[in-house]
Amino acid sequence: MPNQNGILYGLTILSPILNDERATPSHDLQIRAFLAALPTDETSPFARAPGTHLARLVVMDDVIYVGAPSCEEHLKSKYLVFESNCDGPLDTYLTNLARTVPEQLDALWSHCVGYPGAANLAAFLAYMKSCQLDTTFFFAAVNDRTLPQSLLALQTQHAVTRFVTDHQGEDPASLQRSFVNFAANLAKQPPPLAGSSAPPRAIKTGGHNE
Amino acid sequence: MSNISGKVYAMNVVTPMRPWKTPILRLLFFLLWHIKHLQNDLINLSFIEFARWVIIPRRSFPALGHGQPHENLQYDYLLFFSNFNGTWNQYIDAFSAVLSNGLNLIWRWSEKFPGSVPVTPFKEYIARVQFDTDYYYTAYPNATANDLKSAHIVQTAFDTLAQRASSLTPTQFAQAYLDFTLEIQAHLGETGEAPVAC
Repeated sequence: MPNQNGILYGLTILSPILNDERATPSHDLQIRAFLAALPTDETSPFARAPGTHLARLVVMDDVIYVGAPSCEEHLKSKYLVFESNCDGPLDTYLTNLARTVPEQLDALWSHCVGYPGAANLAAFLAYMKSCQLDTTFFFAAVNDRTLPQSLLALQTQHAVTRFVTDHQGEDPASLQRSFVNFAANLAKQPPPLAGSSAPPRAIKTGGHNE
Repeated sequence: MSNISGKVYAMNVVTPMRPWKTPILRLLFFLLWHIKHLQNDLINLSFIEFARWVIIPRRSFPALGHGQPHENLQYDYLLFFSNFNGTWNQYIDAFSAVLSNGLNLIWRWSEKFPGSVPVTPFKEYIARVQFDTDYYYTAYPNATANDLKSAHIVQTAFDTLAQRASSLTPTQFAQAYLDFTLEIQAHLGETGEAPVAC
């Protein structure tokens, strides 16, 4: 079933977290502490490695009991959930992650069962795929543009808005010259960095009902 | 921990399902995937950037050996991950108002799902089965799904005009520019940080 929608890939990974009673703090808490300090701006590992539109990492402590008359049951392991909406294909995406941000991957997944490290690319890919769940239904609002295309489009939208505002009422010859110059200058601009202009992490409004 | 990054909210939901119901839900998702007009309501809820449902059969949790105990579960589980613009309440309200039939079809197989209408028990149910996000990243934190769709419309129109701008006479360019602005005028705008209530 569809891990892919258009050219975008919906990656879902559940990695069992080590359950070592001697570890202090426990491995799941070490993961959470690491994630709490991980940047979300252009210095994020997901910004530095190419291809991630949106991604989340979640420690799943247990399944949820919804109340009687359903049965109460519990997981025997906690899981690190990695949900990524990225440019495909999968091998290219994971390879880019392993090559660009191996330290962050190792810092996280070293708390998970059987993680071989990012340095051994073949083992890393095999591990990630062994933890992958097939997405049953994947929806993407824009499914036919890569991340660089989307970042470029947002930059163009911003620049065109300014241009249209600044050149109202200009005579045709002057307007044409301005537009040609504007288009040439815009083509030379590097696309904005992924994750840039993210609000500072101090805005923490997590919780159910905000 | 934050469920929010820029203008997007990450929702994680897990619900138990009796295993005999799983094939029915798989069939429904199959139909939803292949009959595209059934997705129209989902598409028209234009504040959703990405969403996915993942069914985990009770014996399909990743088991890697190395002493990891096997899960022994009675239920299959339905995971739902959504990335949407706006607040939790707006999202659930819109889901309940616009997609109630579709949501009921998807979640009615989950234990104790109360239905998506009326909205109060629906919200109570979602709040119960939601778990929080530890890390959330978006490549375009200042843009919503609508911003992104609009930006691609502007880009396409802009590329077309830029390609032929030099070859037109000033009068022809003026007309082409007018057509261009008429085409994109509803898609111009500024992106920026989301408003934050202090």
